Formats: sequence, structure tokens, C-alpha cells
Amino acid sequence: MDFSTVASQLNAWTILPEGIVILTLIAVLLVDLIVGRSSVRWTPYLAIAGLFGAIAALWLQWAPPDPVAFLGSFSSDPLSTLFRGIIALSSAIAITMSITYVERTGTALGEFLVILLTATVGGMFLSGANELVMVFVALETLSISSYLLTGYMKRDPRSNEAALKYLLIGASSSAIFLYGASLLYGLSGGETRLDHLAAAIVSSGDRPPLALVVALVFVVAGIAFKISAVPFHQWTPDVYEGSPTPVVAFLSVGSKAAGFALAVRLLVTAFPLVSEQWHFVFTALAILSMVLGNVVALAQTSMKRMLAYSSIGQAGFVTIGLLAGTTDGYASTVFYLLVYLFMNLGGFACIILFSLRTGTDEISEYSGLYQKDPLLTLCLSIALLSLGGIPPLAGFFGKIYLFWVGWQAGLYTLVLVGLLTSVVSIYYYIRVVKMMVVKEPQEMSEAVKNYPAIDWSVPGLQPLRFGLVVATIATSLAGILSNPLFTIANDSVVRTPILQASLMVASPVSSVPDAGVTVADAIAPEESVIVP
Amino acid sequence: MNLGEGVQLVSFGLLTALMLGSALGVVLAQSVVYSAFLLGLTFTGMAGLYLLLNADFVAAAQILVYVGAVNVLILFGVMLVNKQMAFEKVPGLALRQATTGLVCAGLFGLLTTVALTTPWMLSTTTPAGDGAIVAIAQHLFSDFLLPFEVASVLLLMALIGAIVLARRDLLMDNSATGLSDDLELKLPERPKASLSSGGEP
Repeated sequence: MDFSTVASQLNAWTILPEGIVILTLIAVLLVDLIVGRSSVRWTPYLAIAGLFGAIAALWLQWAPPDPVAFLGSFSSDPLSTLFRGIIALSSAIAITMSITYVERTGTALGEFLVILLTATVGGMFLSGANELVMVFVALETLSISSYLLTGYMKRDPRSNEAALKYLLIGASSSAIFLYGASLLYGLSGGETRLDHLAAAIVSSGDRPPLALVVALVFVVAGIAFKISAVPFHQWTPDVYEGSPTPVVAFLSVGSKAAGFALAVRLLVTAFPLVSEQWHFVFTALAILSMVLGNVVALAQTSMKRMLAYSSIGQAGFVTIGLLAGTTDGYASTVFYLLVYLFMNLGGFACIILFSLRTGTDEISEYSGLYQKDPLLTLCLSIALLSLGGIPPLAGFFGKIYLFWVGWQAGLYTLVLVGLLTSVVSIYYYIRVVKMMVVKEPQEMSEAVKNYPAIDWSVPGLQPLRFGLVVATIATSLAGILSNPLFTIANDSVVRTPILQASLMVASPVSSVPDAGVTVADAIAPEESVIVP
Repeated sequence: MNLGEGVQLVSFGLLTALMLGSALGVVLAQSVVYSAFLLGLTFTGMAGLYLLLNADFVAAAQILVYVGAVNVLILFGVMLVNKQMAFEKVPGLALRQATTGLVCAGLFGLLTTVALTTPWMLSTTTPAGDGAIVAIAQHLFSDFLLPFEVASVLLLMALIGAIVLARRDLLMDNSATGLSDDLELKLPERPKASLSSGGEP
């Protein structure tokens, strides 16, 4: 192997965004080490600046001519770029929420930021990983930092319990994923690149080899754990309840987006031979997630647990777009994740603010909040109504796009289950809104009665307010002014080679929508949609 | 069959028997210390299998990492916990064990079928043998460069995380952080006793 030519083939500029985040985390670590405790006044802003630098770098390298880097380890096609942007943005918003929270719990903020940034790097690499070893290393970087973040409040027994549960379930699901990956390696005769795997696996006769199906099942177990789809969801409620709330906000958006990025890339590129089987498995996962997540959420009394089950249900909705397997299908998945980022993070920002002021996150304690804190009530109501899919908020358009795409692709059962469970979900979201808004002053809960005077001058609360307002505005307007988001989601799918290749294979006869699909084409029912 | 092949076959049989026996022992032994030592034996047997596959470096790494580090760590963990506690009687233990055994047997059967029926693509390249270290290094610095570098980020974070979990918390000095403590902020996680100056009434 000639090493003088290797350096020129690396195409190393594609990981510039990750490089910026890694440099930021080292800078945060060193500043915290040298300057000491007083540096927490500005290290969070340094971290946020680094993340926005990474997003800017991602923006500049949208759809590079040669996306494959590091001799096939990494691919920065538009799909991965968009997912990396979602993860970086969710991490930045989660940092704005965590400043006051972490300080108030009496733990160190510097290390918290470092671990959170590492999780972000792991998620970003996972979105672009194009090779089995890279997938595993990135997955572990994301997972191990998530375990550490979950157990960060180490004097709180609930946090310890959550971290231990997450670690044990996560480690076993990683092991199962690795077993599946090793089967793929063996089946393909020592190939690790995802885009070469499918070609290297020989199929005897018309049936795929049994080992490939087993590998699929094992790999899906690893992915479903990350996106917390039923029946791999058991960790979710306990982890969401026990871990620090900013961490939950990151896990529910960033970590989940990374899981979906991995699912799209791995399933589409490595498992075309067992396409029917993975569609079947994911249909089952989606239906179970939608039903169980939304039904169990009805019975929750804790806000964080309710959002945990709601996020399980949302994962089911997003899977519909993945299963449709058309250009619009993938675009709707990406679009919904973008919208979900804003509405879910907005919701979590409100919960953090409420628990900072009152020290509780029981749903019943929210009653009568409207009288004391109209801004918080408004933001939380918008976030929850959007999650439930009430027009004209962003969540409604996201859901209708997903359901429309699913209907076009002939996934009638899935769409019907999705519609029914959304109706169920509206009930439990509105219950919270009703609790906050409708109650008379004498029905106010104790926590709200003792509500402190609203003071935004506490260090760390200003960024929280900023993040909260941005998320709320994005949630309210992204539905009506959704054109840029639709365009970007469509563009990312249309210009990603792996997805286009899979669409060509799936339907060689029907016409593939051309590259200039506009928003109007995307929402209006059109005939050129591929029905597999 | 010449002498070399015979020796290979016999050592394969011995190693497999050793590994299967010790692995079963890990699961079935009542004492945790026995389990930990038997786990070391399993790892060593695995290193022997690597040697038979002509992978010297992997065998050495297996002994160094798994037996030398992981297993010793497990033993330290077992010894430091040092808690004498009898197993509580779990209701329906026999049924649970039977179910577990059934699931495990089913999984074993499935994986055996997979291993036997699949047309494995056998690699045609000759084993690197003594040149394995050079070959691995070349891979690490060419097509596996990115995972290799990302692993360093992972290790840095694991190091920091281990320190965060293990260190004794210093009491936070709120005046140094610039966070005023006169505001009524309460959190469920908040240590009630250990914060010297808190906003708690």
C-alpha cells in the first residue's frame, strides 16, 4: 500500500463539521481546566458557538461532488449532512437549557458539556458512517456518552438507576448488533463497506440465505434500541424519568435522529436482498410503537414519563415514511424529524423551566399555570398541540405528509393505525393544556400557588428563554411557511446517491420524480409517485 | 493426515472442550469468584483458537486485553464489593430457568443451523501470519483511519466520564460561578444537605 497517495485520497474536508465540534470540546475541557469554576459563565456559549460553526460548515458543503471520504468509511451525502445538522442543532438547543439546570443541581457544567459534545460527535459520525467498523465505533461513542449523561446526577438514586438500566440494555443491544454485523462480514467474504456489502453477498436460488435474515434481525435490534421502538423500548420511560431533563431533550431528538439515519443507510444499502423481510419487521415495530406508546402515555402522571411514551409513539409515525420507500417517503421522514426537533425541544425547555421554578414535573402540578406564567403556558401549549398534530402548527403538516406518503405507497394499515393513535395522543396532550389553561384560580396546585416571581436575570436563564422562544416560533410557523424545510428535505433525498439507487432498483419501470421536485409537487397528490 | 494436522486437530478439540466447559461454568457457577476465574479460562481458550487460526497478534492482544485487563477488573469489582448476601428465593425460579434454558437452546439451534446451511464466502487471501502486525497497522492508517481516530475521542470521553463518576464532589461555591442563590430554584436532584449555601427555605 502506497501511503503517499493515501493522504490525497482521504477527502478529509468532509468531516470538517465534526472536527469543529471536537476542537470545541477540547477547548471547553482545557478552559474549564485552566480557568476553573468561573469559566462556566462563558463555556456554554463557546460550545454553542462551536456547534453553530459546525452547522455553518455543513451548510457550506451541501451536496459535495465527491461525498465518500476516508476510503469509504464516511459519506457526506446530503442525507447525512441534514441528519448531522439536526443532531448538532438539537445539541445546541439542549445546551441552552442545561446551563441553569446543571448549576442548580450542584454538578460540574464543564464536564457535562464535554460529554454532551462527544455524544453529538458520535451521533454525527453515525449519520454519515458508511462502513461497519465506523458504524460500531460511532454508535458506541454516542451510547457510552449517553449512559454517562444519564447518570450525571450521581447523588440522585433515580439517575443512578436510569444509568444502570440504560447501560445494561444498551450494552446487550450493542452486542447483538455487533453479532449481526459480524454475520454480514462473514457472508460477504470480508467486506465492511456498506455500499459493497449487498453486491458481495451471494444469493443461492430465489431465497435469501438464512444467515442474512438472522443478521437483519440482530442489526434491527440494535437500531430499534436507539430509536426506542417497541419492543426495544423498556429503557425509555425509566431513563427519561431519571436522567437530567436537558439530557432527555437531547436523547429524544439527537440520539433518535442518529438512529433513523443509521436505519435508512444500513437497511437501504446493505439489505436489498431481504427488502421484504425488513419491511415486515419495521411494519410490526411501527404498529407496536404507535399503539403502545400512545396508549400507555394516557395513564402517566409524570410529564417526563408522558413525553417518554409519546416519543415512542412518534418513532412509530416516523417509521411510516421510511417504510414507504419512495423519494417522498424519505423526505417526509426527514421533514418530520426537523419539525419534531423544534416541537419536542420546545416542550422540554418548558418542562425544565417549570421544574427549575417549582421543583416538580407532575402533570397535576401544572394546573392553573396560566394565571402565573402566561409565556410558559403559551409555549408549552404550542409544543404539545404541535406534537399532537393540531393545525396549523408544524406537527400537523409533518404528520399529514407522513400519512399521505404512506397512503400513496399502499401502507393502508399503518396509516389507519397512525390516524387512530394520533387521535388518542391528542387526548393526553390536550389534557395538559386544559390543566394549565382552564382551571380556576382556586383550583391551582400548590406548586403554582407558590410560584416564584418571574426573574430572567439569573445567569443561564436568558439562553433558555432564547431557545424556548426560537423553538416555539419555529413550531408555530414551520407549518405555514414550510417551503424551505420541504425543499431542503426533498433536496437531501433527491441528491443522495444511495437512496436514488435503491429507488431505481425498487421500481425500474415507473418514473422517478425528477430532481426539481418542488413543494407543491410534494404535497399535492401526484401520479408520478412510485408505488412498489 | 500428517503429524501437524493431527496435532492441530487434537489441540482444537482440547481447546473447544475447555472453552465450552468453562463458559458453561461461568453461567452455572453459584459463586461469582468462580465465574470470574472461569471467564478468564474462556478468554485464554479463545486466544488458543486464534493461535490455531495463525493469528498470533490477535491471540496476544486477546490475552493482554481480556485476561490481563477486563478479567482482572471484573475480579477487582467482585472483591471490592465484598458483600455477603444470600440469594433470595425467587418465586417460580424453576419455571424461569426452564424458560431461559428453552430460549437459549432455541437460539443455539438457530445459530447452528445458520452456521451449517449458509454458503460462506471463504476469503482467498493467504493468512498474514507473522506479518499481521504490519498488515493491521496499514489498515489502521488507511481504510480504518477514521474509526481509529474516532476511538480516541471515545476513549477521552470515557476517561473524563470515569473521573466524573468516581470523584468525590466538591461543594459548589455559588459565588464563584456568578449564579445568584437568592432565587427560589428547586430541583428534585438537588442534594439537600451537601450544598453549603442553597436557596432552600
